[in-house]
Amino acid sequence: MARPAKNVQPRPLEPNEGARAEAELGRLMVGYQQGRLEAFDAMYGALAGRIRGYLYTLCRDASLADDLLQDTFMQLHRSRRTYEPGRPVTPWVFAIARHVFLMHRRRTGRRLRFEDALLAETLRIDRPRDDVAALIDGDEVRRALRRVPADQREAVLMHHVDGRSFAEIAARLGIRVNAAKTRAFRGMKKMRETLTRPGE
Amino acid sequence: MTPPRRLREAIERDLKPARPLRRPSTRALALVPIAGAILVGVPLTHAFRPDAALVGFVRTWGFSIAQTIGGLVVIALALRESVPGRALSSGTVGTTVVCGLALPMFLVVLTSPRFDIGPGPGLGLVEGVACFKTSAMAAVPAIILAAILAARAFPLRPGIAGGLYGLGAGLIADAGLRLYCDYSVPSHVLFAHGGAVGASMLAGAFVATVAARPRSR
Repeated sequence: MARPAKNVQPRPLEPNEGARAEAELGRLMVGYQQGRLEAFDAMYGALAGRIRGYLYTLCRDASLADDLLQDTFMQLHRSRRTYEPGRPVTPWVFAIARHVFLMHRRRTGRRLRFEDALLAETLRIDRPRDDVAALIDGDEVRRALRRVPADQREAVLMHHVDGRSFAEIAARLGIRVNAAKTRAFRGMKKMRETLTRPGE
Repeated sequence: MTPPRRLREAIERDLKPARPLRRPSTRALALVPIAGAILVGVPLTHAFRPDAALVGFVRTWGFSIAQTIGGLVVIALALRESVPGRALSSGTVGTTVVCGLALPMFLVVLTSPRFDIGPGPGLGLVEGVACFKTSAMAAVPAIILAAILAARAFPLRPGIAGGLYGLGAGLIADAGLRLYCDYSVPSHVLFAHGGAVGASMLAGAFVATVAARPRSR
């Protein structure tokens, strides 16, 4: 009887296979730096799977890993001039991927702190409380948000909930950075007034 | 695996040739003129140490040039740290910081035959503050240029990169200061000279951290 398939070994790597792959990545990266889109496509094909796996081990969330993968390639694009030709590409790419994950974690922490602060502010409202009131808190925040003018609400949500920078908001809305800051500030002020004013 | 359409379009819109950065050691050479100006400028704008003839050329200019080169090496390490994937190990960072902070003291030990030359009675604080200010101010141009060079890369640990280039700038400034100040009492050397190098290091870390913040957040 033939032995079971467990004895089948994966194909061993050839001695210089890793080095060859790295050299090929280096050539692609140089092409990418020179402005060749097909080099980016090939790099994506060669690296996306590994980077996604790495991001998944960090965040344990498949859809988040997909989002972070796109962010990583955008960041890699912005930082492409920092790659030194002749050096291995993989450590450079993975360092950027790790940074993208850490930045995401920091942004998420900030958003959670904001939501906690908002909740704490809601709970400070001086009014008789019962079990139903606790369920209503979320509604109060939403109601307060609805009272904020649409342009300010958009800035509040984009900055405090989505974690976008004011520069990004300004670019997206086609306004100046200071205008984006002002809108978010006024929106927050309006929300705070609504939440702290009893009986509304 | 092909890139998603939106990502590919975003890349395509922005894709133009990008000249790769030079090696960190090569980029650190941009600081040589400033380092030279600091080295020569401090004694020229204040005074040359009074015991220069006694101490000799090697222990004055020689050691100061060596310390300046040491500062440039530390800045080159900071520029290397600023490139993704080329982070320094914690051992290297620790050794660099310890050696960098110890270097000015070590050179005083090698330069001065005795450790009793110090400010006159009641002048310790005034002279200490004067040396501290001179050294800290002299480090500012080097910190600014190093910060620009580091920010053109993509420092993933800006505090460490900034601390290192601040340390390097502090060493360069102290190399100029030691051509002006001949005090060798340990309290002055430790707090005024060593303190200024430490303050430069902290200033560099602060500048790098602020510069690395996402804009307008």
